[in-house]
Amino acid sequence: MKLIKKRLPNAVIAGVAAFVLPLAVQAASDDGQKMHQLFEENCASCHGSDHGGYLAPALNAETLKGRSPTALRTIIMAGSFDTLMPPFYGKLSDDNIRGLVSHLQKTPKLDNPAWTIDDIKKSLKVYVKDESTLPAKPAYQIDNIDDIIGVAARGKYGRGEGSRAIFINSKTHQKIGEVPTGTAAHIIEYNPANPRWAYVKTDTAEIFKVDLYSMQAVRSVKTGYNGPGIGVSRDGKYIMAGSFVPHNAVILDADTLEPLKTFELEGIDPDGKQVSSDSGMIIGTPFDDIFAIALENAGQVWVVDLKEGFPVTRITNVGHHLHDAFLTHGGQKLMIASYDDSIVAAIDLKDRKIIKKLEAGCVPHVGGGSAVVVDGRTLGFGTNFGDCDKTVVSVWDLDKMEVVKQIPVDGGTESPAAHADAPYVAVDIISKDRRARTVQLIDKKTLEVVKTLDVGGHAYFPEYSADGKFLYISAGYSGDEVVVYDSVTLQKVATVPMESPAGIFSHGRVRYMTRGLSPDELAQRDGNLKGAKK
Amino acid sequence: MKAPIIASLIVAGLASSVSAQAASIYAGEARAAAVCSQCHGIRGTSADAPFPQLAGRDADYLESALKQYRDKTRKSDIMNNIAGSLSDQDIDNVAAYYARIKP
Repeated sequence: MKLIKKRLPNAVIAGVAAFVLPLAVQAASDDGQKMHQLFEENCASCHGSDHGGYLAPALNAETLKGRSPTALRTIIMAGSFDTLMPPFYGKLSDDNIRGLVSHLQKTPKLDNPAWTIDDIKKSLKVYVKDESTLPAKPAYQIDNIDDIIGVAARGKYGRGEGSRAIFINSKTHQKIGEVPTGTAAHIIEYNPANPRWAYVKTDTAEIFKVDLYSMQAVRSVKTGYNGPGIGVSRDGKYIMAGSFVPHNAVILDADTLEPLKTFELEGIDPDGKQVSSDSGMIIGTPFDDIFAIALENAGQVWVVDLKEGFPVTRITNVGHHLHDAFLTHGGQKLMIASYDDSIVAAIDLKDRKIIKKLEAGCVPHVGGGSAVVVDGRTLGFGTNFGDCDKTVVSVWDLDKMEVVKQIPVDGGTESPAAHADAPYVAVDIISKDRRARTVQLIDKKTLEVVKTLDVGGHAYFPEYSADGKFLYISAGYSGDEVVVYDSVTLQKVATVPMESPAGIFSHGRVRYMTRGLSPDELAQRDGNLKGAKK
Repeated sequence: MKAPIIASLIVAGLASSVSAQAASIYAGEARAAAVCSQCHGIRGTSADAPFPQLAGRDADYLESALKQYRDKTRKSDIMNNIAGSLSDQDIDNVAAYYARIKP
């Protein structure tokens, strides 16, 4: 997600430490506590429990210094156009809004609140005690479970009634299930070994284990305060989740959601400083029984072996501010984006070494990434926020690990979609004006933009159906629908209404690993890789 | 699909005696998306939102309400400001758009 980008300049953190004492005094007052509670209940899921920002900007004494309280009150009342910020007029009283503004302008960024393995254990909720009572097959008509497309519907306020994981049959474009998640659903992962299980991670770092056959949550656990990182191991036995707040990650039993081990995320960054770090992407790979996790601020990738003690191999100096990644070559190679270096680093997960660093436009955000095979070459596609003049989609030859082309597009982009059987790679333009309504299509062969779709809302997170016949796109923010296109004619064929849709996740992802690759190719590669499973 | 759209265009056009041009639901949708949808939704309000539903409301009612907000004969801190940014044509278009959405 565009808004995930979060910068924590060390200067700000250091500057903030000086304010800790006044905070303690202030928090002691009843009013301070009440305002803190209001912040937690209404603002923290996007702005961060530590006031350090998450999907939305940091709100603290430092970042709001000199801002007009009247202007801040207006934003809270009326919301902020072209963002996810909803209007709180009528939901919060005017006194409370004024109180919040004053509270935020006095409160420093807080230290990371603790969330230990005991907190995780205590947060486990069981909704279905006896899973043997669940139906043996889907309780609805569907040809193939891979036809399921899951959409993370945020809900207008990032919480409440509209916050759901919504599942759609991508052949009929009808909703087949809705699972309420309390706060905004953010990421949906599927279990590669058992088709019935999905895992939904929310903005507030709860993970729901969802039974796709009966379309209900069976368990949930809270793994931290926020952070999008979640991966599932290839054998379907483990989940790893990581947080921005606090700076840790946890391995869970994928069946019971019980925590098995937590990891403090810290290390020496590329500038030689020991830092505590946000969790970036976490990924399981069909290549091996491992997780790879990016330490955003430490610039390291850790490879965790799924065996006794979960030992960690650290790959250091990968880049400044790592974020997301995708797999290639049967899952042996990991392409990981580094925001501040504007590169994508290719990592060999077998040798656990950096292969090469490739140019990646400007502030690369690869989303789930895409890779397609064209004329015998495996080409990777990388989007980037384009926070400079260079708005391009990068294309890399993933065999030779070199840049093939930087395709000019209309603006910043954050997620490419591809399918082995669809002719175009779709990228979402996120620049903050009318372009945000659009998605551009790149011809796989000519590597040129051939069409721009006016989707509506804030159009983002394109995703192909597992059969490659349809392209799903969220008309997000206030667009309130998912729009479906024929992937060849690019004609609109359906709309699916929901509140503030964001990420779209096809169940087919478990078969093709990275969007755009053929499932047959993966199966073939798997057969060639010693010890790899189907 | 085409026929009801055209019919409602004509109806909306006739109903609004002030406007010289027929209301455009397409222009109305664009304006609603930019100005109204943050609170009232492009199709409907959020289940959690305290704002009134506009979808399916009578076009004449919407038009007169917006004009009252605009000239401040009807008081609301927020709506007086927001309606103040709309032209007569905008108001016709937005009213025509919401009136034909099914809530």
